[in-house]
Amino acid sequence: MLTRPSLGFGLGLRVDHYEAILADRPPVDWFEALTENYLVPGGKPLHNLMRVREHYPLVMHGVSMSIGSTAPLDRDYLAQVKALAARVEPEWISDHLCWTGIAGKNMHDLLPLPYTEEALANVVERIRTVQDILGRRILMENVSSYVTFRDSQLTEWEFLREVAERADCLILLDVNNIYVSAVNHEFAALDYLNAIPAERVQQIHLAGHESHGDYLIDTHDHPVPDPVWELYAAAVRRFGTVSTMIERDANIPPLEELCEELAAARAVAERTLARAA
Amino acid sequence: MSSLTHLQNDFQSFLLRGDAAVEAHVVGTDRVPIATRLGIYGDGYCARLIEALQTNFPVLTQLLGEGDFDTLATAYVRTHESPFFSIRYYGNALADFLAAEADYAGAPVLAELARWEWTMTEVFDAADAMPIGADDLGRVAPAEWADLCFDWHPSVRRLELAWNAPQIWKAVTEDAEIPEVTLHPQPVQWLLWRHELRSYFRSLPSAEALVLEAARAGQPFGELCLLLCAQFGAAEAPARAASFLRDWVGSGLLTAVR
Repeated sequence: MLTRPSLGFGLGLRVDHYEAILADRPPVDWFEALTENYLVPGGKPLHNLMRVREHYPLVMHGVSMSIGSTAPLDRDYLAQVKALAARVEPEWISDHLCWTGIAGKNMHDLLPLPYTEEALANVVERIRTVQDILGRRILMENVSSYVTFRDSQLTEWEFLREVAERADCLILLDVNNIYVSAVNHEFAALDYLNAIPAERVQQIHLAGHESHGDYLIDTHDHPVPDPVWELYAAAVRRFGTVSTMIERDANIPPLEELCEELAAARAVAERTLARAA
Repeated sequence: MSSLTHLQNDFQSFLLRGDAAVEAHVVGTDRVPIATRLGIYGDGYCARLIEALQTNFPVLTQLLGEGDFDTLATAYVRTHESPFFSIRYYGNALADFLAAEADYAGAPVLAELARWEWTMTEVFDAADAMPIGADDLGRVAPAEWADLCFDWHPSVRRLELAWNAPQIWKAVTEDAEIPEVTLHPQPVQWLLWRHELRSYFRSLPSAEALVLEAARAGQPFGELCLLLCAQFGAAEAPARAASFLRDWVGSGLLTAVR
């Protein structure tokens, strides 16, 4: 088995919820910590993270690896990620299949890659290097995108599959991002799901987005909408029991509200698996 | 230049400067043209950095109001790219920007407020270290005192401020009545630090500021006493020095004596 057994149903760890998590120990199976939030020398952020870690499994999720960039890998950043992982002992480490900047600059955005052989070779080599440095397989997450590059020779799902297989890494599948990109680029979301190598899917993200009529923007600031729930059910049918979480990045509601949404995710998965049995 | 490098150069130039070369790499659709698609990234770049500044300077945002802060943040984003892997560090030059820009230099308290907020954040997530206690001082042999040097908690910061920025900051964070902007007759020395996860600050009398700086620069206790002799005379200096030291230890400012 390439992937680890499912951790169950988790949430993104957000500062607003520390107090409630530590006081009430909500029925959340695990939390996902945003790596960069804890790449600080010390103080409360790390203290709180370690307190949560005492009670829940954690995974680390980064945004600055810039794995698809043509700039050199930031080895100082990777050393800090490795040091944090040694302290936190996360179940796994993930980042995004994208680039975030070149020439020593960070755009602080998950920028899309052209789906070319050149980009594929570049990203595969870099993932292998990162995996060597971190001493573990990492998870690559699909991002939402708004542009299609003229040079692209592969579909996004072919690109993701090739990356995962050639780099021997795992996949964090963001079901909302598939849906957003499917609408924006007018492809069938199920074609995407069906092309993903099931044996490499270690984690699923669920989130919401914002509709602008002809296109969607991946804001991660709304509850999971119906089409994303439907796609999630299709993902469960295809991938079975996979660690799944609600990822809310902005407009963050009280913890109880996210726990209710997580219970809905659990229900969709159970119903889908029961029907399949 | 490889085609991927070329594409990433053009894309980044579009985000930073609005260069149009990226358009040649992108395909649009009837429903969503190229300009709309690229615009999502262009707008997102500015919006994300402005939001980072709001997060990193909440009091300044509140004082200026969203509209004026937005104007400031937009001007800063246009002139300051981020070399940081974490958006936590974006805004490190905002205080200098406020001090230098003609639009803001007329209200120098704004630059001081930005410096204060930034420093408080540094204190908040500075490295951890275990402070020493009074017992540790008690174990120092009398003969060793003159050569005794001190290690300071990594969170310790010093600021010299001409305006009442800390008082304004405190009023805003406590939702209290905001005091009038006031220029002090003399600049005030401030000490900021963290102890057991709580951040603290206080103003420093000039004599304490003098010896504290000397101590942080590595001067031994004997030299600190000499500095105080010059101010208070030989009879009073040792008691003054001992009093400062007790206070520093009690506040969790020191992590070792050597």
